[in-house]
Amino acid sequence: MNELLANGPGLGAWLSLAGLLFCIGTYGLLTRKNLVAVLCSLELMANAVNINLVAFSRFHGDELGQVFALFSIALTVAEVAVGLAIIILVYRQRQGIEIHELTDLRG
Amino acid sequence: MIPGLEALALPLLLVALAVAVLAADLVVPWRAIEPSGGERRGLGALVAAGLLGALAATWWLPADVVAVGGAYIQDGFSLYMQRIVLAAGVLATLGSIDHVDTRFPGRQGEYYLMLLSSLVGMTVLAGARELILLVVAFELMGIPLYVLAAMQKRQAAGVEGALKLYLTGAASSVVMLYGLSFIFGITGTTSLTIIAQGLQAGAFQDPLLVLGLLLTLAGMGFKVGAVPFHMWVPDTYQGAPTPFVAFLSVAPKAAGFAAMIRLFVEGMGGMRDAWWPPVLVIGLATMLVGNVFAINQDNVKRLLAWSGIAHIGLLLIGFGLATVESLGILLFYLAAYVFTNMGAFLVAEVVGRDGDDSLVAWRGLARRHPGLGLAMLLFLLSLGGIPFAAGFWAKILLFWSFWQAGMGFIVLLGAVLAVLALFYYLRVGRSMFIDRSEAPAPKVGLPMSIAIGLCLAGVLGMGVYPRPFIELAMAAAAGLLGG
Repeated sequence: MNELLANGPGLGAWLSLAGLLFCIGTYGLLTRKNLVAVLCSLELMANAVNINLVAFSRFHGDELGQVFALFSIALTVAEVAVGLAIIILVYRQRQGIEIHELTDLRG
Repeated sequence: MIPGLEALALPLLLVALAVAVLAADLVVPWRAIEPSGGERRGLGALVAAGLLGALAATWWLPADVVAVGGAYIQDGFSLYMQRIVLAAGVLATLGSIDHVDTRFPGRQGEYYLMLLSSLVGMTVLAGARELILLVVAFELMGIPLYVLAAMQKRQAAGVEGALKLYLTGAASSVVMLYGLSFIFGITGTTSLTIIAQGLQAGAFQDPLLVLGLLLTLAGMGFKVGAVPFHMWVPDTYQGAPTPFVAFLSVAPKAAGFAAMIRLFVEGMGGMRDAWWPPVLVIGLATMLVGNVFAINQDNVKRLLAWSGIAHIGLLLIGFGLATVESLGILLFYLAAYVFTNMGAFLVAEVVGRDGDDSLVAWRGLARRHPGLGLAMLLFLLSLGGIPFAAGFWAKILLFWSFWQAGMGFIVLLGAVLAVLALFYYLRVGRSMFIDRSEAPAPKVGLPMSIAIGLCLAGVLGMGVYPRPFIELAMAAAAGLLGG
């Protein structure tokens, strides 16, 4: 196990993975029409952050980044809970959660 | 006792107040769907009194004490910012009492609890000198705001506004976190003090750090409503409860600037070359967009939203200059802005109580209710920067600091835009003073009269005798930069 960690992918690989995940999330955020799918995209972006933090933490050889990642996970959960509640309100009013229906406010 | 606990006295006081409100909410009968006779209003009075007490307590709190190993500092700057957000909290609570008691009497407890949670986040944010604490405080400030924006849950406009606030907010906090993860990754620490020392010594030269810095800037730009993250502002302001909008339009802005000053000036001041150009561009774009879109608004809440965006543009440039003078004036501007902008929104709440926020509802206000008309005129003139209102000194001093920095073109642009701004502010004035209407005079409840009166006193006081306020703000900024 230790051997695998020592010879495993380097920091650059992890950062690239996180960057890719973040870009996929951003793409989803901008293009998906379904609000739940938009939330899923946000979740992808948040996990890119967590991968970054944990990878940096291992690179520096201390636990600070993992602590940061734990806080980040908890905050994202709180945020998504409120988001789902708002989406339920949207559903009750419009019987749908398509984002393009939300165009009452303009100008 | 935990060492450094006294530094956290103010946030802890607010947490205690929130618990008291939660308990009171359970005890007071809540089944009434009708507006209550008085017992439910007591909740709002409790919150207002508690916040006023906390505001007064800031003058007795010890300054320059740190908590949690330096992660949180209670210095002149944090105290100044905390006074601003607490003042906004008091005004918003007083303005909310009538509103929440008629619109959602059964859910008043939630409303005040969310307001207080957000205030706890803001007070911690003003003193956060550590990235994790900064993020937690930022979210503690932001998440209750999403809930508050959705408070009118049966109204389509309210829910739509809340969703837009939520989506932009959640996306931008993820972007900010992504940026902070790079800052942490390159520096290997979450302490802003250590980062500042390292930058001073010439360490941390890495393009990833610049990337992290710019992502963080983008994420924080949302909170203050800077272009291009401003699209939620008018929609959310239109749909959300107006007294809450009064709060949303100033307190998170002030706290957002506090966090940006802590992070970018105090922590990453050594990298100003990297963040100053984007701040300048964003600031100019925000000024322009805000003023241009405000011209054609017939809905007063949307007009104030766009004008608020314009003000943020000016403040961003003042923040980017990052000298003791410009930051001191920025702090004074924020104080003046609290009274001016909240006053305008609170009058808008009274006038638009039946749900009509368009200029039609404002016709003949000066005849129907002279006091309210004059108060609104003063707030508008202060927003426009006319002499002897608070906004005049704020604007002229900010322009002066731009001039000092050799940026005459911004002063020129600002002057042109200020004239443009007067035009759209006075459109409201014309509606109030020249147009006629047969509508009855709007009723102003006692707590609302007190709130508007306090705003008026603030605007006039800071306009006629600004010196002590400016000195207070300058001292706070000087303490921060060690000048």
